[in-house]
Amino acid sequence: MTKIKYAFASLLFLFAAVATAQEVEKKEKEPGHVNQSKFRQLYDEFATPNTYRSASGAPGPDYYQQQADYKIAVTLDDKNAKLYGEETVTYFNNSPDKLDFLWVQLDQNVRAKDSKSPLRDGQEVPMAEPANTFVSKYISAPFDGGFNIDYVKDAAGKALPYTINQTMMRIDLPKALLPKEQVSFSVKWWYNIVDHTISRARSGYEYFPKDGNRAYVIAQFFPRMAVYSDVEGWQNHQFWGSGEFALTFGNYDVSITVPADHILDGTGELQNRKEVFTPEMMARYEKAKKSYDKPVIIVTQAEAEAAEKGFSEKTKTWKFKAENVRDYAFASSRKFIWDMQAVKMGDRDVMAVSLYPKEGNPLWEEYSTKAVAHTLRSYSSHTFDYPYPKAISVHAKNQGMEYPMICWNYGRPNEDGTYSDRVKYGMLSVIIHEVGHNFFPMIVNSDERQWGWMDEGLNTFMQYMAEQEFGEKYPEAIAPNAKYPSRRGDPSKIVPYMGGDQSTISPIMSNPENVYQLGPNAYAKPATALNILRETIMGRELFDYAFKTYARRWEFKHPTPEDFFRTMEDASAVDLDYFWRGWFYTTDYVDIGVKDVKKYQVSNVPSPAMKVYMQEHNLTEADLRPLVYLIQIDSTENAENPDLAAKYPSESSTTLKEYMMDNMTEAERAAVKEPKYFYEVTFDKPGGLPMPLIVEYTYADGTKENITYPPEIWRKNDVEVKRVIASQKELVGIVVDPKAETADIDVTNNSWPKKQENTDFDKFKAKIKG
Amino acid sequence: MQQLKKGFLILLLPLMAFTVAHKFYLTVTHVGYSEKDDALQITTRIFIDDIEKVIEARYALKMNMATESESPLVDEYLEKYLRTKMVIELNGAVKEYNFLGKEYDDDMVVCYMEIPKIGLDSIKTIQIQDEVLTDLFDAQQNVVHFNIKDLRKSMVLLKSNTKGMLNL
Repeated sequence: MTKIKYAFASLLFLFAAVATAQEVEKKEKEPGHVNQSKFRQLYDEFATPNTYRSASGAPGPDYYQQQADYKIAVTLDDKNAKLYGEETVTYFNNSPDKLDFLWVQLDQNVRAKDSKSPLRDGQEVPMAEPANTFVSKYISAPFDGGFNIDYVKDAAGKALPYTINQTMMRIDLPKALLPKEQVSFSVKWWYNIVDHTISRARSGYEYFPKDGNRAYVIAQFFPRMAVYSDVEGWQNHQFWGSGEFALTFGNYDVSITVPADHILDGTGELQNRKEVFTPEMMARYEKAKKSYDKPVIIVTQAEAEAAEKGFSEKTKTWKFKAENVRDYAFASSRKFIWDMQAVKMGDRDVMAVSLYPKEGNPLWEEYSTKAVAHTLRSYSSHTFDYPYPKAISVHAKNQGMEYPMICWNYGRPNEDGTYSDRVKYGMLSVIIHEVGHNFFPMIVNSDERQWGWMDEGLNTFMQYMAEQEFGEKYPEAIAPNAKYPSRRGDPSKIVPYMGGDQSTISPIMSNPENVYQLGPNAYAKPATALNILRETIMGRELFDYAFKTYARRWEFKHPTPEDFFRTMEDASAVDLDYFWRGWFYTTDYVDIGVKDVKKYQVSNVPSPAMKVYMQEHNLTEADLRPLVYLIQIDSTENAENPDLAAKYPSESSTTLKEYMMDNMTEAERAAVKEPKYFYEVTFDKPGGLPMPLIVEYTYADGTKENITYPPEIWRKNDVEVKRVIASQKELVGIVVDPKAETADIDVTNNSWPKKQENTDFDKFKAKIKG
Repeated sequence: MQQLKKGFLILLLPLMAFTVAHKFYLTVTHVGYSEKDDALQITTRIFIDDIEKVIEARYALKMNMATESESPLVDEYLEKYLRTKMVIELNGAVKEYNFLGKEYDDDMVVCYMEIPKIGLDSIKTIQIQDEVLTDLFDAQQNVVHFNIKDLRKSMVLLKSNTKGMLNL
């Protein structure tokens, strides 16, 4: 009997905490529930792996992607700001499906008079408005934008039937396109080019009234194939303005006819350099190809200023070829100054190039090409060697827009040539960002129309690393700053957004058209999440290898979010389902704190609480195996044990002493350091995101101990968790997340004892008092 | 012809994704309480380019904030603008605040305002009217976080709804 009781008691004792909790009487039986653990795997959210896309996150054995090759000839009518074009598209059906029709994107139609984009948002009558806004809103005629399609013909020159639905055109094929087959068709079109400085369009021109010139940055200028894939079928979601592009890879043969005095550069390799360059430019170009440390000017500011006055009636045709690109863009103007340098990329040379009107100087000649070259090196080191022959940064007012090998960037000094740090860092950051987009999404070709974060978030994260590396490499360029002032990436910078009003926050996994604030949603939050993964959760070694694996697996392919999430786990053995779920699929935020600290000491006799427990279970000390008792101090529990001074546990507990005598040698006993102080620390988590519990313990002698409990500490209780600290030294302070690594939105609960935080407000007041 | 859709500009701006440039109009205001000074303490974070635009539009002053050519009138005009656009009422009565000054944080300006000795025990309601930048941008969102002792409340104030109240 005693034996059974003894065993029973031990068993009970083990589960005492659980038993006590269950003693709360329940009137009604609660209903059951499905798995609600935040650590459950993402089977409900993820698509089932298949032969196209493997469970590892790599392309599967049957992965395919379509190909679209373009032969394009366009003419720029500078006087009337119109663009005329003809193209032949050859479309390769690599899918296992039979295609009855093709979808072609007509992005310019977002600016057509009958565009639905301006109609899809609510409006209110404002109390007052600037006069120019009022005029353009209610008085002046709307811009006559959009593609005017002259014809769509098959390879034999026969008209093909087509239907235009806003920004999408369906071409009905006379005979279905079977797997492994290809089809060619031709389109002729023209459109009015928009002033992008007014409409904030992603391409167009800026007009310079002082000299009467335009600087063109031209993109979305030709009908482009939509993507057909195993995931979306035809990706023919309309272009509304925010959701960017989903595009098929292919080879481009493009000739661009512009006024003879224009300077032009675009995606791909120039085929007729000798026809369009002066001998002087050729000589400078040859020099630039061997200049690895600084750019060589191909067209000087003086030459560009002379050209501004020309307005040639003659034309020149610039011919380019580009292989394996998903899009095409170019920039053209009389105003362009041009410089370039070479960048070593493995055993190849890549050209870093800048085009800018004099209005960009002196900022652009100093920093643009330097930033391009730095970006190519930095991004390549984290992914793969930049595979294209060049990367161009074009200065365009208010722009920040990316295309393969070419991008438009803002950053304009004042008219007198002075500029603020804000303009300088804005320019450096936007160049790093837009050139960086060559990697995501130009090469790792995600579907921007559906998932803005897949390119913007990954790219903003890469941008953060490249900016920090820029600061380390060129300290003189960022002086007096000690580190590059990145706007996004540091955990603390996302706190105002993630801690903000829930009614205006969307999960990252949302379509870019449907989020409230695209900046924090698609750029800053995913970038911060990846930064936290790299620095705090996975560590640089595991993260960098996995991230590189993702980039290499999907280089020149079309990844989905799952392919990214799966690869990051596949290559690291870190289960991140909880992290993806919380950070990407919900609007939860981080808030972890320290709630309570209880002190205990070892005792020879049961504590009052233990006595109550024993009484309830009809146990005496004799029923129990010899036990070491812990008794809470600083509370009523130790009222009857006033002599519990700071003695070693083995001095306080006979049971412990005897155990140690029986089981340890004298030498072993001499070597052990018994803890004197025992603490039970309660951590709570008001925020929904499970994160590592990063704790700094401070002891009476001033020493600190840092312990990081893995995020899994929250797997059984998502609200509160307790830990025991046994120490030889008295514990005097606890800080959760001492280095602000987790984007904790409320740090007032992060300290024990509760600190009267010196608020930012107090700091500012102290500062102004001097 | 080319003036086109400036009318839609304001509508489209928050939607047209311009990489890196902030594409949404947002200020964030914290209303806190200092027990030490029995003071209501208000900080407002505003994008520098936005506030520069509105000050130039209203007062024709180019502030050139955070540059070597920063106008010496910046503090004066910030205060002047804020006093018209941000009004605090305690127990239903307008209460003037002290404008302490500003500091810069990257591309934001942080403004500090304080109402000392409010006698918190007697305060039943704190109302904030925040119309900052709504005179320039229809799509302006002004987020206000109250954090008075243990009482927390967050709200988004829009052009159509510029007042928020905290009941104590």
